[in-house]
Amino acid sequence: MSAPASDRVGERSLSPQATWGGLSLPRWAAVALAGVIALAVGVWVARGTLEPSRVGQDATALYGVALPDLDGREQRLDQWRGKVLVVNFWATWCAPCREEMPQFVKTQTALGGKGLQFVGIAVDQGDKIKQFASEIGLNYPSLVGGMGAMELSKTLGNDLMALPFTVIVGRDGRIVHTQLGQLKQAQLDSIVGKLL
Amino acid sequence: MDRPPISPGSPRKRGRPDALRAAAAGLLCAVALAAAAAGVPGLEPKLLPPEQAFRFSARTLDPGTVEARFDVADGYYLYRDKLRFSVAGGAPALGVAALPAGKRKHDEFFGDVETYRGVVVVRVPVVDARAGQPLVLVADSQGCADAGVCYPPNQQQVRLAVPAAGAAAGPLVEAHPRKGLFN
Repeated sequence: MSAPASDRVGERSLSPQATWGGLSLPRWAAVALAGVIALAVGVWVARGTLEPSRVGQDATALYGVALPDLDGREQRLDQWRGKVLVVNFWATWCAPCREEMPQFVKTQTALGGKGLQFVGIAVDQGDKIKQFASEIGLNYPSLVGGMGAMELSKTLGNDLMALPFTVIVGRDGRIVHTQLGQLKQAQLDSIVGKLL
Repeated sequence: MDRPPISPGSPRKRGRPDALRAAAAGLLCAVALAAAAAGVPGLEPKLLPPEQAFRFSARTLDPGTVEARFDVADGYYLYRDKLRFSVAGGAPALGVAALPAGKRKHDEFFGDVETYRGVVVVRVPVVDARAGQPLVLVADSQGCADAGVCYPPNQQQVRLAVPAAGAAAGPLVEAHPRKGLFN
């Protein structure tokens, strides 16, 4: 990067001074300063265009969500505070969502006892959700979110409002991972393994 | 990472030009690094917003027909059975659109479904329209990306006007015209 350049400049020049309108700086300092400023600008620009993920943030807003389950009973997400919580936004009209869910069912069975809890939020109608849930033997709650759930997912970083979208929250209530698109089993195991 | 673009053979000038050149090189490196770093969490595929993935437009062909069109971006597809046309405000009335056949695909939950890729053109009959009458054509659609995400049902619309009998086909009107570089 810039370090070799400044070294070489320093070796060869007897007066390694850059003058900036009367202000005098050692050349390496000017280079370093420019680098630091540029890095800051670069990070800032990149952040602005990419919309930073919500990773590391507190999941308070998510915990505050209350949605009806398939029996119409309102469920608050904060009842799973203290567990490793995997919130999966899905719909029956989303084939990639349906594809990944059987693996969530298996993982819930395998790791539920260790404190892992999956919760689905379906952007869909109750009857369709029920039908699919029974087809795959869904063993974790799926709440009925409707289109409002898409807006909720947007606040969690799903800017495109596409599905599937998954948020993993640690026991400490911090968002550890957000993902648009399918979560591969190896990736899920690796992330959740560190949290349990 | 590339070395700063200082050619070792050239005679070095003292002071400002060197410092500026080195600073510029540092700046390039830093920006490149930041961009690379920013790209890492973006392992998620770059996905288009639905109005760009499924660009909707329409034109009038004659007083009794509008032509609706979807330009589906490469790597995206629409579901035939989720495509619906209607008119905002309900007038003029639309007849039944004959949707072209799509590509058959077996869906484990919904059974056989048909999908559209590329350009989809649908002729929609217009009933009892009078010349000059505004016609806001509304399209409901739902589609997915091959990258493995689906978009929720989406509604787009274009404003047309019913042409006079014998008039030429109207211009194609886009639901979301492309704006400048930064939109």
